[in-house]
Amino acid sequence: MLIAILMLFPLVTGALLLALKSKTANVAAIYTYASLHLGITLALCVRPAALAPFFRVDDLNIVFLLILSVLYFGVSLYHGDFLRHSHLNRRWHTWYAICLLLFSFSMTGVILSTHLGLLWVFVEGTTLASAPFIYYEGNKAALEATWKYVFICSVGIALAFVGIILLSMSAGDRASLFLDDLYANAGSLSPFWLKLAFPFILVGFGTKAGLAPVHAWLPDAHAESPAPISAILSGTLLNTAMLGILRVYRIMDLAGQAAPARTLLLVMGFLSLFVCAVFVLHSRNYKRMLAYSSIEHMGLIAIGAGIGGAGMFAALVHLVAHSFGKAVCFLTAGNILSLYRTREVSGVRGLLRVDRLTGWLWIFGFLAVAAFPPFPTFLSEYLMAGAILASGKIWLLAIFLLLLTVILAGMSHTILRMVSGVPDPALQPQRTPVFNYIPQLLFLAILVILGLAMPDPILGLLERAAASLGGGR
Amino acid sequence: MIHFLIVLFGVTMLYVAATSRIEGYIRVLALQGVLLFLLVMTDWPHLQLLNLLFLAVETLGFKTVIIPWFLLRVVRRNGISRELEPYIPNFYSVVIASLIFAFGFFLAYWSLDFAADIKPLYFGVSVSTMMTGLLVITTRKMLVTHVAGFMMLENGIFLLSLAMAREMPLLVNLGVLLDIFMGIFLLGLFATKIKSTFAEDKIDALTDLRD
Repeated sequence: MLIAILMLFPLVTGALLLALKSKTANVAAIYTYASLHLGITLALCVRPAALAPFFRVDDLNIVFLLILSVLYFGVSLYHGDFLRHSHLNRRWHTWYAICLLLFSFSMTGVILSTHLGLLWVFVEGTTLASAPFIYYEGNKAALEATWKYVFICSVGIALAFVGIILLSMSAGDRASLFLDDLYANAGSLSPFWLKLAFPFILVGFGTKAGLAPVHAWLPDAHAESPAPISAILSGTLLNTAMLGILRVYRIMDLAGQAAPARTLLLVMGFLSLFVCAVFVLHSRNYKRMLAYSSIEHMGLIAIGAGIGGAGMFAALVHLVAHSFGKAVCFLTAGNILSLYRTREVSGVRGLLRVDRLTGWLWIFGFLAVAAFPPFPTFLSEYLMAGAILASGKIWLLAIFLLLLTVILAGMSHTILRMVSGVPDPALQPQRTPVFNYIPQLLFLAILVILGLAMPDPILGLLERAAASLGGGR
Repeated sequence: MIHFLIVLFGVTMLYVAATSRIEGYIRVLALQGVLLFLLVMTDWPHLQLLNLLFLAVETLGFKTVIIPWFLLRVVRRNGISRELEPYIPNFYSVVIASLIFAFGFFLAYWSLDFAADIKPLYFGVSVSTMMTGLLVITTRKMLVTHVAGFMMLENGIFLLSLAMAREMPLLVNLGVLLDIFMGIFLLGLFATKIKSTFAEDKIDALTDLRD
């Protein structure tokens, strides 16, 4: 019942908004769905439910659903003011709200799906619903970013479909494409087809998750879309694609084919770290820098999953930590953009003098994604390093630490240049509305609590999720 | 008959690798739509009427008429006829495409050892078609050609889902969503914006965003 509300509300409300075409109604709908989503998700945490046979809350997806709900709620607070000052006319304002509802609807769909085909359909839906946001600015650069996003993700999604067909061949008559069925009969799947299917699904969903070398759309799309959307793209969309990968990885694991899957995850993970390290050293655009950092963190999650065991738990902690940390960064980047009206690093000086709170949020957001204690990214990267060490590959640990250090150096250089110095005297900054601070403060508070003393219920949630993927602490 | 159709399908992909005429790509797309329709009709006469109707609309309506007609309109309006200066010469495209076909059939007959219920000819041609589609996307520059390459990739996927009898209806119908997805996207983005923003539909025009 709860899940039915979760899935039907955005569709019904979207149709209503189309009929009403009122800016107030649009914002009200966004707020209502965000509150409803959060309420229902918290209820589902206490008592998991299902909408048989296609949607269900299980040990793994509840983590993803919780991240989506909390993040979407915070971003909605930010949206209120953002939409009041946007250049959109009433028609496009309405479409913006509808697309936002459909976007979170399709992400919820990916998370709750129990059928691999359905999951794939919803991943396709997320691309459709989020493409208009990237064209938000309406100029040539925005068009290029939208084109790349849609086209590259379409090719990715097509390859993922090939993977699903191959998986179905591997199952033959022995299992349907329901995840439970595949898990239960994993032992009888044909290893040949399974091993052929996994790379396609990894590359396909990996395109959407922003794993190198199929990440090309990500920096453009994140840089061009408006701040709250970048936060959702990075904080939740990439996660949902990662969930698809983890689901199929579990099939491989149960079928006794974990070794090739792990190798592939590690390769893509380290490639992602490498790509980020190369580009972050001389980033001129601060939103692109954050986007490359997202590629890095998705790579880290892939590495954690690829190491397995304790690495899986670390990957899930990292998933939570990155989502909120990166949302803080992107929302604060939105504040900076409206203060300085440029995305170029060279145009931003003396952030701490222009807007003290934004400056500090920028610094703390950076610390949160750069794995400084007390933020939970520190915990997860520490655990990950330990897991790599435990697996006996010391050279891998050396590369891991080297790449992380390069990325840290590159990012901190840019961030410090932006917050320090003297601002351009010609700059006439306006006041930042209070709701453009609150979500970031909320997310940072969550992160500090998770990093310093993780509450037992959350810890239990993450442990059960890791256990459902065959990992431990 | 079925074998003849599939082989013909494979030949169209070799033609794609050889030609640089954009209208040629589009004609091939239409032809492939017809071939897929004939394949569905001859190989699955026992399908339910509703499903058969649905697949007929998909192959004949969508793949043969709507998408090619749409692409042709874009091409004619912009007065582009050839793929100028592809990233690699056409001769090498043909060589690579031939190697892809050899690989496809090698894979197909090799896979026979592992699954007896696969139709090797379907499987081989579909794998080759998908890879040639990707080849077209990566080596050509025009945006229209990229869309055509994506449609070929999709046709290959369609053929692949025909290669396996069991989950056939479900997977084929899911695959149709890919087409619909492409259709919406084309209408929304390609027709309205790209044409007015760029004089030529060249991917080269879309290379401002970089590091």
